[in-house]
Amino acid sequence: MSDSERKFNIDTEKNPLMTPKRIAFIVKRTSVQVDARDEEMVMTFPELVVKGLIIFEVVVIVLTIISLFFDAPLEWIANPNHTPSPAKAPWYFLGIQELLHYFPPVVAGVLIPVLVIIALIIIPYFEINIKKRELWERKRGRTLVLLTVSMALIDLLAAAFKAWVIAVPTLLLYSLILIPLFSKSNQGLVGWIRRRSLTEWIMLWFVIMVVVLTIVGTFFRGPEWRWTWPWIDGIY
Amino acid sequence: MDKKDDKEPKFHDRRGFLSAIGVGCLGAACLGSGVLSIEYLSPNSVLEPSPRFNAGSLEKYAPGSVTEDLEHGIYLVRNRSGAIYAMSAVCTHLGCLTFYKQQENIIACPCHGSKFTGEGEVIQGPAPAPLPRYYVELNERSQLIVDKSQLVDDSFLLKV
Amino acid sequence: MTTNSILEKLKTLQPIRSIYRGGGSASNLGRSLTIFNNFFLHVLPVKVRRKSIDFGATLYLGYVSFVLFGVLVITGILLMLYYRPAVPHAYHDMKDLTFVVSSGAFLRNMHRWSAHLMVVVVFLHMLRVFFAGAYKPPREFNWVIGTLLLIMTLLLSYTGYLLPWDQLAYWAVNVGANMVNATPFMGPKLKFVLLGGHGIGENALVRFYVLHCVIIPIFAVIAIGVHFWRVRKDGGIRPLFGPDSDKVESEANQKEGD
Repeated sequence: MSDSERKFNIDTEKNPLMTPKRIAFIVKRTSVQVDARDEEMVMTFPELVVKGLIIFEVVVIVLTIISLFFDAPLEWIANPNHTPSPAKAPWYFLGIQELLHYFPPVVAGVLIPVLVIIALIIIPYFEINIKKRELWERKRGRTLVLLTVSMALIDLLAAAFKAWVIAVPTLLLYSLILIPLFSKSNQGLVGWIRRRSLTEWIMLWFVIMVVVLTIVGTFFRGPEWRWTWPWIDGIY
Repeated sequence: MDKKDDKEPKFHDRRGFLSAIGVGCLGAACLGSGVLSIEYLSPNSVLEPSPRFNAGSLEKYAPGSVTEDLEHGIYLVRNRSGAIYAMSAVCTHLGCLTFYKQQENIIACPCHGSKFTGEGEVIQGPAPAPLPRYYVELNERSQLIVDKSQLVDDSFLLKV
Repeated sequence: MTTNSILEKLKTLQPIRSIYRGGGSASNLGRSLTIFNNFFLHVLPVKVRRKSIDFGATLYLGYVSFVLFGVLVITGILLMLYYRPAVPHAYHDMKDLTFVVSSGAFLRNMHRWSAHLMVVVVFLHMLRVFFAGAYKPPREFNWVIGTLLLIMTLLLSYTGYLLPWDQLAYWAVNVGANMVNATPFMGPKLKFVLLGGHGIGENALVRFYVLHCVIIPIFAVIAIGVHFWRVRKDGGIRPLFGPDSDKVESEANQKEGD
């Protein structure tokens, strides 16, 4: 096409829908690109709607079967004059109740739950959570030091309050995180560990803490909140 | 497609058959849920006073009298020969509690002005039917037992 | 006369057509209209990415939470017909439901187990969203709403726990109320307002009943509505696996361009 044929003046008085538009993004280190993807779309009805109906039926059927065979508990009428031993909170609060065993109520009952909620809410507003980088990709020395210091702090704090339930899993997770330093493998479990970012490790630690504390509170605590082995003394 | 479709039975292919089974199961489930819901919503036990109660001894009721028992919503009517029967005090129009006017020997309803005789027959008013009667009997200690769950016809009398 | 042909014939009737406009599955236009013209379904887009509706994308956890919520509302309303939030009637009504009312035990079990299941599923849903990176911009605010919904789920479960008024309920709530009491500065006052008194008594039962059946559900329904709306507005599901999913940004990736 010669210069005289190329149009530099765009005529917008005629049909504006017919005006060709090209938008160029110029980003550092790259050349101009167009993000075009061919995504296969399907009609919501029937694909998604029918899937939804099936899942609804499956959930209701599973619940029905469970409800037919397992009864919800009903103990004696509430008696303010008699505290059962142990007096346990609903299972989803047993993690916090286990914490209450080690830390004063202000910390375990108020401070930690509030901090956890705040920490969850602010996750998406921090840059480190937006970029997903492998933990050991760069600055290994610094990462190792910071990781060890954090682990030591948590474990020393836990040990000071005799909270082995917190200290031991933290130590185990720490050793898991260090595996990619000793193995060059990129496949399988080691590869999966290598690819985890710091944010994911923190969330994993949190989940492990919640699960471990809840399991201990549910199965391993008996009268007066003493340690009990469920396979010997049963579940309280 | 297949020109024999019209003459074929309802589920002429696998899809039709399975779909019929599916719809059938769904229908059975809905029907079952409906029946269970209605059973659930009808209480099996209610905290209400018993319809069968003791009205006292026969001597309380003089021959030729109409006695109101408002707590149970009945009249105990004893005629001159001594026979007794229990009659509903609830007006047959729309359910208000009637009252007995001794001087005129009339049962009247305050809501819409229905009037009944001392025997429950309709004299006047929007009431469509006479006051129904309940079953009475004497127990072993000559106490009068009224059973409001059993209706009896207008000629019923307990002769004593 | 198959089911389909009966349905097709019904759809031509004037009363049916006055209720149910457009739709039908005969063409893509019909399928679009089924979603577009439907009050309940039109929060969904007319087309979805095939990869996002696979099981591996979301494990359907969010939808299952919603189904469980629906089950809880329905069983809860039915249970409300036989339950009086008074002392000691509450306990006797629970016995009534368990032993006298037809299907009472079954409904109570459904309610209890779907409540426990919902706490688990909501938590797993949060984990799925996190590991799929579906909290990253532009989905930040939806993550916040999700956290609020998690708190509401736990509070609904907690307030409902007291209602049977048995030893398990009473002392479990006692533990929680004393944790509230431990709040610095306002603890005792907060506990007093929560329980409507100095101990767990009739006032506490009524307050927990209203919280459980009215107050928190209203907020939960509003939050669920906004949550669904935001999913749509923020660009749909971000699956756990697939081309849209979150990728590790390594230096190798950087060279290809941001």
